[in-house]
Parts: sequence; C-alpha cells; structure tokens
Amino acid sequence: METRSIVRAALFAALIAALGLVPRIDVPIAAGVPITAQTLGVILAGILLGARVGAASVLLFLFVVALGAPLLSGGRGGIGVFFGPTAGYLIGWIFGSAAAGFLMQKLPIGSIFLRALVASLIGGVFVIYLFGIPYLAFAAGLTLDKAFLAGAVFLPGDILKSILAALVAKSYFASRAPIK
Amino acid sequence: MISGHLAHRTWLHAVPARGKLLGLAGLTCIAFWIDEPRLLGLGFAIVFVNYLCLGREARGRLKLLSSLAPFFAVIGLFQFWSVGGEAAAAILLRLCLMILLADLVSMTTPMLDMMDAIEPVLRPLSIFGLDAMRLSVAVALVIRFVPALMEEWMTRNEAWRARTGRNASVRLLPAFLGGVVTLADRVAEALDARGFGRGRKR
Amino acid sequence: MTPATSTSIVIDRVGLRRGSRLVFADLSVSLSERRIGLLGDNGAGKSSFLRLINGLLLPDTGEVRVDGLVTAQARRDLPRKVGFVFQNPDHQIVFPTVLEEVAFGFRDRGLRRDDANNRARDVLRRFNCHDWIDAAVHELSEGQKQRLCILAIVAMEPDILVMDEPFSSLDLPTRLDLMDLLMSLPQRLVIASHELELLSLMDRVIWLSGGAIVGDGAAENIIASYRETVTNARKHTAVTG
Repeated sequence: METRSIVRAALFAALIAALGLVPRIDVPIAAGVPITAQTLGVILAGILLGARVGAASVLLFLFVVALGAPLLSGGRGGIGVFFGPTAGYLIGWIFGSAAAGFLMQKLPIGSIFLRALVASLIGGVFVIYLFGIPYLAFAAGLTLDKAFLAGAVFLPGDILKSILAALVAKSYFASRAPIK
Repeated sequence: MISGHLAHRTWLHAVPARGKLLGLAGLTCIAFWIDEPRLLGLGFAIVFVNYLCLGREARGRLKLLSSLAPFFAVIGLFQFWSVGGEAAAAILLRLCLMILLADLVSMTTPMLDMMDAIEPVLRPLSIFGLDAMRLSVAVALVIRFVPALMEEWMTRNEAWRARTGRNASVRLLPAFLGGVVTLADRVAEALDARGFGRGRKR
Repeated sequence: MTPATSTSIVIDRVGLRRGSRLVFADLSVSLSERRIGLLGDNGAGKSSFLRLINGLLLPDTGEVRVDGLVTAQARRDLPRKVGFVFQNPDHQIVFPTVLEEVAFGFRDRGLRRDDANNRARDVLRRFNCHDWIDAAVHELSEGQKQRLCILAIVAMEPDILVMDEPFSSLDLPTRLDLMDLLMSLPQRLVIASHELELLSLMDRVIWLSGGAIVGDGAAENIIASYRETVTNARKHTAVTG
C-alpha cells in the first residue's frame, strides 16, 4: 500500500475510535435519539475511502483494539472483545465497510444520496448482520431465528444510521470529487 | 496516552506476553469442552477473585462489561426458555469467563509487548505488502490521532454551539470528515518527505 | 557532517504544473549559500520550490539537481540528504510519544527498536530535551511540537534542511528560541517564511512572485525592496480604489 492509503486508513481508524468516545451526537431528523457514531464511522470509511482503504481502516482499528486500546464505544478494548457474543459484528464491520465502498463505486445509481443509502443498507446493515447474527447464535448456543430476534433490537437504529451516512456522503461529495 | 493497560505492576505483568497469549488460547479451548456449569462457575470464581486481588483499577474494568448486559439478558432468557436453567447458566458463565480471561491478558500487557509478541504471526503477511514496519507506523498513527481528532471535533462542536446553542449535530460530520482526509494527505506527504519506506530494502 | 560548501542546489529551466495551475513556467536558479530565505506572497510558489528540492514534486520540464543528484532519478535517496520541516507540526508528527517520533527515522533505516531508541535519546539529550523523552505528543505546546519536528529531522543528519513557514503559529519568545536553534545547526538551510526577522538572518534571500524570481541578493536589500513594493501597492490601491 502506498503511504497515502496507509495514512488515510490510519486516520479513519482513529476517526472511528474518536466517534466512539465523543459524547452523544444529536440527530436532527429524530430529535433526542442518541446514537453511537462508531458504526457510522465504519460505513463512511468504506463509502468515502473506497472498498480497499475503507476495509483496511476498520481492520486496523480492530487490530489496535485487540492490542489493548480501549477504543470501542463504552471504553471496551483488548482481546476480550473478540471473545464476547458480539465479536461477529466486529468482524462483519470489515466486510461491511468493504461492501459499502464497493457498492458506492459500482452501483449504477445517479443520485449520490440514493447510491450511498443502498450501499450503507447492504454493506452497513445486511453484511454486518450476516456475520454478527450467526456468530451470536454460535457463541450463545442459540438457533439462528432466535439469534436474529435478539439482534433485531438494533435494526431501527442501524437503518437510521444508514440514512445519516447517506446524508453525510451526499454533503461530503458535493464539495469533493468522488474517490476513484 | 490511550491504553487499556494497568498502570501499576502486578504479578501477571512479569509473565511474557507470548506465554499469556498461549495460556489464553489453551484455556479457551478447554472452556469450550466443558458443559458442566459448576466447573465453569469455579473457573469464573477463580478469575473473578484474581480481578479483586489486582487492585481497584482492575475492579473498575469489571464495570465496562455492563455494556454487554442487554445481550447477556436476552441470551439468558432465550436459553432458559429453550434448554433450561442449567445449560443457560453454563453458556453465560463460559462467555463471561472467556471475556474476563482475555481482558486479564490485555490489562497486564503493554501494547508494544503485545505487538512484539504477535510479530512472528504477522511476518507472512509481508507477501501482501504489509511489513511489520508499515503496520507499526499505522498503529502509532491511530493512537497519535485519536486525541487530536477528538480535540478537533470538540472545537467544531464548540463553534457550532456558540452559533446555535445546540449540541453537536451530524451536520458537522461532512466538513469534519473532509478535514480528516485533507489532514491524512498532508501527513502522508510529510512521511514521504522523510523517506518513509524508501530508506530500506529496494 | 558534510562541509556546508560541498552541496549545491541547481534548479535548471524548470516548468511545473500542479493540477490546472501553472506554478513555474521557466525557473532557473543555483543555490550554494549556507542559509537561504524564500520570500513572497501566498501562492507565489515558495512551497512548490521547497518540494522540488526534496523530490516531493518533480518538474514537468527541466531538472533539479541536489549535490549532483537529479531529483527525478534519486527520489529514494533524497530524504536522507534533504530534511523537510512542515508548517504545521500536527501534519508531521506521526507517533504518540516524543521518543518514538525521534526514533522513527532510525527505525525506518533498519535499526532495531532498542538501538533506534538509544540513538533518539542521545539526540534529545544533545539538544537539551532529555526531560521530554517519555512525554506524550498531545501534551506538548505548539513551540515544543515544532522543536520536536526539527529534532526528528535533524537527528538523521541531512545535509540540507528545508522549512516551510516554520514559525507561523508561535509566540515571540518561542520564535527567538527556535531561531537560535536553527542558527546553531550545521545544516544548510532553505527557509520559506513571511517572518522578515528570520529572513534577515539569511545569507541570501530570493523573492518569488507569480512563479518567477523578482528579487535575489543580500537579505537586507531584498527585504527592503519587498517592503517598499508592498507598501507602494497598498498606497496605490488606496488612492485609486
């Protein structure tokens, strides 16, 4: 990887961490709903930096967490997080970010908002759940449908985050040429 | 500096990082084979007592697990309902035991030692152009820029509040992200100016 | 350390474009003085000039030679020869602690961590900064950060030190301290700055305007005519506009 991609990946990894540590962010369209912006950072890394660098930034973030830095929202860190029932989601972040980035580059949709929305729904929700829910089922000894029910409590929040990611992407790309 | 590592030294600090990681891997495999809740409970109790003995800072770490509480509650309920109390207890105890064990390793191992310990595992990755030097620079960059980006976000937040009287909004994100990309490209340029990766093998 | 007179920087009929903007059409100049200052308004081409010397930018036409090396062919070796200190320390500092930052150059040249750290400690001691060895970068003041940037580059003993607006966000005492530091270094200096006081310490000052050299000579003469031109231009606009 060339220096520029390494540094972009590293700074977005730092960004994902920072978004997990700052106090709550208010969402204008759903006033008062506090969100953890960390997964928003994961989706945006893919959409703004592209599949390869986006996935690298998430991988790097998780690597630094595994080394012991308490950077997951809520201040968790260390190898312990990869032993918890939610470890599948964390692994899913890597592929979700890559998928969102890939779709953002390839989807034949003219509107940046719509393209980013579809990319974040598929990458940021579907792909992440694809890893998160089966692992939850495995780690907790649940059947898949029960694991899905258990994980579904986060679905409304995650859909909201996809909409936000699309809004952010639209405004971001309005001032910059999309990354090729 | 950001670190999840305990400031004061404990007996576990003296164990080499590689030994702790191997021990963790071994114990994890064993825990997967045990279905007996009483045995798992005993293991959990031993680890828990260890936390209590490692000092106030270590006990504080137990609180961080509370973010997983909703998950444990749902898992416990589902399990209790489908396979009964004993199996539910076994699963929850095993999860908690493994998380606490792994955290024990992280808490007592400085990040640089951890990095050195896993270096041999990473070495094969160099065929994908990911050498240890690049990776360690990337890790350092992450740790260096977390406080810098938080400060930047707080400054923007403050300016936003001064203008609107409201809390940080996602409206601040696009400009903030643009700033991060620009910053990254400047940092990359400065690294190139120092000959990053050019000084060594060709 | 290489004697100061053996290196020379030659910019030979250089044309350079950055994006759609033409920075230099046909620039030629040869630099052999110990300390050289670059003067000029924002956008005059000072930063591009410095980047040409370090090989961060390569000319589209013509060539740049540093100590006989053509930059287009020696990009890999240039950073050893030409150290670059940037305007904003936050863009340059890569590591979370002072020691790691200074040790980076040694590590990048293949030294083991312990050896690199020892060399870095020596450098910090030599420049009276030994009490910072374990400090975290985000706790340093702006002036301390800029000093760290300079030390991290000087530690690698380049022949030439190139600096882009090194003092722009510093208070007066810190500026004076850093000027003393710069004047004590054995390296040849090429400094772009708006700081007339700093430029007045240089052996030669080059005044760039719109990508061309409009003044070149002893510091006091060039600074005086720059000041006069700017003042006159303002009077003129005040009268007509």
